[in-house]
Amino acid sequence: MPSSPEVTPLTPTRRFAKWNARTHYYLGLYFLFFIWLFAITGLLLNHGMWGMADFQRSRTTSKSEHRVILSRSGTPLTEARDLMRQLEIEGEIQWLGTTSNAGRFDFRVARPGIQTEVRVDLNTATATVERTQQNTLGIARALHLFTGVRMNDPKNNRDWLVTTLWALSMDAVAAGLLVMVASGIWIWLQTDHKRGFGLIALGAGIVCCAWFVVGVSLFGN
Amino acid sequence: MSAYPTLRNLHLNVGLFLSPFIVIFSVSVFFLVHSWIPGAKQAPATRIVTDVVFPENVESAKGHEQIAALRSVLDRLNVRGEIGFVRYIPRDRRFVLPVTQPGRQTAVELNVGARTASIATNATGIADAMVYLHKMPGPHNVAIRGNTFHVQVWRWLADATVYLLLFVSVSGIYLWAVLKADRRVGLSLLAAGALSFGGLIYALIA
Repeated sequence: MPSSPEVTPLTPTRRFAKWNARTHYYLGLYFLFFIWLFAITGLLLNHGMWGMADFQRSRTTSKSEHRVILSRSGTPLTEARDLMRQLEIEGEIQWLGTTSNAGRFDFRVARPGIQTEVRVDLNTATATVERTQQNTLGIARALHLFTGVRMNDPKNNRDWLVTTLWALSMDAVAAGLLVMVASGIWIWLQTDHKRGFGLIALGAGIVCCAWFVVGVSLFGN
Repeated sequence: MSAYPTLRNLHLNVGLFLSPFIVIFSVSVFFLVHSWIPGAKQAPATRIVTDVVFPENVESAKGHEQIAALRSVLDRLNVRGEIGFVRYIPRDRRFVLPVTQPGRQTAVELNVGARTASIATNATGIADAMVYLHKMPGPHNVAIRGNTFHVQVWRWLADATVYLLLFVSVSGIYLWAVLKADRRVGLSLLAAGALSFGGLIYALIA
């Protein structure tokens, strides 16, 4: 009877190393398209003039007027949602500022690539809807920035489920990248013969970033 | 297979160089998505400077020429950083300009007629510094953006981060594809990621 080959059990360190490497590339594979999107759109945003002529030229605006039924019973948010349902508009509501005219109810509905201004005349129950549509470049840029909130603007909170999901996916991509950084460093630490180059590469990155995060304000121009 | 060891070394070392940049861009995402920056709300330190000397062309110059004229004034006032935009109020002969560095914001008001300057400096902390770097150089005020050395260099590094990240991701796919044992799970995750991505984009724009 042939003897079965002896299987050496993995030590906890080796088991961790194996799962660490798997986590590194599994996360990379799951988030691949998100990472490419945010990387490429980040590049587009940093080069504001790339495709800008096409972007401006391709913007199309349409305007229409609609009779609406005013509920005027709930909060501005529920009233805006009711109007959006009647006008068949979906997206993130943005409050632009306080209007001094009591006879008006204005808001904007945004989603990547489409911006809709809704201006309601409360006296005549008429809504003027101005819809601006952007091209693919505009959509790509908007996806990078679309969070539903703005710094120092407490008026606007996320009120569309899809915006919340998109914001959560941004968090998830960021968390995933941080885990990939940590797992990558662990993989490098386990690789004895390549520590020298790795140390130089990591050190160069840390020095560069530390200079920008704290050095510029202390010593820079 | 001959490319494998070289590519693995490149993937590892480029990834290590990128790591701190990815930390800056990723950590700042949480602050941007939740519009909250810890430690950014401190009272500014304000000082007034009198007898400020202005170049003759400061009010008539435009674009880069105006930035250069204002820069000479800021240098004498020991105000350092990127000029965000320039607001000129001709009636009052007054300039209002934000001057920023990672972790520091300075609101400068220059009164050419009275030859005074009001300078309010606010130390905004490391979290704000990361948010600033995430957004720089950005799509706004392209004509004057990069009026300091640090933004010019950061623009280059931010671009390099994207190109190197693309290289690391493509080389990572190759390195994974060579590992036959993990192909099934990897392909499932790649497909799941593509579905989540496609589904979300469809919901956002369709």
